[in-house]
Amino acid sequence: MNLPSFILKNALRNKRRALLSVLSVAMSLFLLVTLQVALRELTNPINDEGSSLRIIVRNKVSLAQPLPARQLQTIDRIPGIVAVTPFSFYGGLYKGDEKFTSFAQFAVDPQRSLPLISDAKGVTKEQLEAWIADRTSCILGKMTADRYGLKVGDRMQFTGQIYPCDLELKIAGIYYGTADDRNLMFHQKYLDELLGNPGTVGTWWLLAASIAEAPLVTDRINKAFANTSAEVRAESERAFVLGFVSMWANIKTLISGISIVVVFALILVTVSTMSMAIRERFRELAILKAIGFKRRELFVLILAESFGLAMFGALLGAGGAWALFNNINIQKMTNGMFLMFEVTPQMLGLAFAVAALLGLLSALLPMINVARTSVVQGLKTLD
Amino acid sequence: MSANIVTIRNLSKIYQQGDINVTALDNISLDIASGEFLALMGPSGSGKSTLLHIIAGIDRPTNGECRVQDIDVAKLNESQLADWRNQNVGFVFQTFNLIPVLTAYENVELPLLLTRMNRAERRKQVEIALEIVGLADRAKHLPKQLSGGQEQRVAIARALVTDPALVVADEPTGNLDSHSAQEVLGVLRTLSRDAGKTVIMVTHDPKAAAFGSRQIHLEKGELSK
Ligand SMILES: Nc1ncnc2c1ncn2[C@@H]1O[C@H](COP(=O)(O)OP(=O)(O)OP(=O)(O)O)[C@@H](O)[C@H]1O
Ligand SMILES: [Mg+2]
Repeated sequence: MNLPSFILKNALRNKRRALLSVLSVAMSLFLLVTLQVALRELTNPINDEGSSLRIIVRNKVSLAQPLPARQLQTIDRIPGIVAVTPFSFYGGLYKGDEKFTSFAQFAVDPQRSLPLISDAKGVTKEQLEAWIADRTSCILGKMTADRYGLKVGDRMQFTGQIYPCDLELKIAGIYYGTADDRNLMFHQKYLDELLGNPGTVGTWWLLAASIAEAPLVTDRINKAFANTSAEVRAESERAFVLGFVSMWANIKTLISGISIVVVFALILVTVSTMSMAIRERFRELAILKAIGFKRRELFVLILAESFGLAMFGALLGAGGAWALFNNINIQKMTNGMFLMFEVTPQMLGLAFAVAALLGLLSALLPMINVARTSVVQGLKTLD
Repeated sequence: MSANIVTIRNLSKIYQQGDINVTALDNISLDIASGEFLALMGPSGSGKSTLLHIIAGIDRPTNGECRVQDIDVAKLNESQLADWRNQNVGFVFQTFNLIPVLTAYENVELPLLLTRMNRAERRKQVEIALEIVGLADRAKHLPKQLSGGQEQRVAIARALVTDPALVVADEPTGNLDSHSAQEVLGVLRTLSRDAGKTVIMVTHDPKAAAFGSRQIHLEKGELSK
């Protein structure tokens, strides 16, 4: 026998309790990691170069206020812009859904939008041309198509929720490979027609010539419409999405709150079970002291045991979360609500730090007791 | 030949409990010769355990001195005392001596983990110790698989495995039937007779005390005979 095997035997002396301690640590840390991953996903939109090049121009008053369609001529004359298209969020209810449609429908000018969707794959040149040519057609993200089992040529019906008009669209192509393969794009012209040509668009969507140019372009646009009847706010797509995300601030607080509660409950439960496991052994510790074990050596025994259990729990819980989220298709499972669901090294670090703290705290009380109690006092605890 | 291994002079132990002072040991002087098997007797509360604990270096006197092998034990600090106990004293308590998750072999090996011995040296010592107490064939048993008497003999094996000069036993037969008690007492006597250890045993039982080479009596913290 050696000290490590002695520690192991001590840790496993009550197998059920050891298992429960490990499992409670594991499950809580699994939950903690999952919450962190979800939080990151909700507040940290995908960041690629394209989302810094693409710019959204919206009404300065609010996103819900439309912009005059005639602004296009002014924007067209602003330097540093490669492409610009109307970009109106239709936000209809898809016929197959009852309450909530998980993908967005945008009205655009197909011809003008091509440079903006150049990263989309899977749509042939012919299909693009067909889309451009047919006012009532659309292109659809593959994720949504897969979800509803749709294919090219199928028709989709929408009930207007924001606009007082319904849509029927024919799928001209199905794309993938963009930052968000869920969206549907159709003709602004078709929407205008259904609404009786109100002469407005939701927002403008445009592509800057370069990353360096992008902030200049937003500046120029903001200035160009200053002091007009429809002042605008131009911002990079990323900033725009982040603005949306600020709506999630409450959720973020909520999730952080839950995380803290989880960790706290975990600490209370685990610390009390683990330190109880050691307190029950007071007499044994006194005997070890009598036969020559020093305080320091007993500390090592106690700490190694609770630390070991906590770390094993962390390995199971955080490691399990990591292995699980790496190996499942979260896009499919959540119908595209979550895209990456990535466990970062920081999160693993956090989980293991919590576990370390746990091991330390569980050992603390018994260690203080051991340090305070003399051999004689310890011997009396069970006599 | 037998020089004194323990020399106690004017030793007192007073417990303070609030306003009341409890005198557990009152000005005791005592010599214990090397190789003796001393039976320490007396009624409950007379201070037997207290005296034994001070000699064995797990308690400290209030006054007076207790020298073991010419070392004033009370002057050692906690860490020195732990080393000193590991090398010089073997302990046998009345009950629950053994660590329940360790086998007899591992329990006996425990004090050796604190020494520099390697695994093979430890094995040799443990086997000798288990042989002396007559339990070589029970090495792999857990405490709960042993009888009370066997448990106490394993405890004795653990007490002698480091080859200490002094073995102290606090009512080692207190919980045993007379047959098991005889076996345990026989082993303790062998230790002093054949292995030259000094054994100090606290007991209530005159029959147990009869195994000793000398009996002394404590009465209200004082030596009466
Ligand atoms: N920690 C303590 N605090 C106060 N008084 C104590 C303490 N420990 C022992 N005593 C008192 O000291 C006296 C001697 O106790 P000790 O345990 O040495 O007696 P004993 O002879 O071993 O008795 P027993 O045969 O019952 O084991 C008793 O009166 C006891 O109440
Ligand atoms: Mg006693």
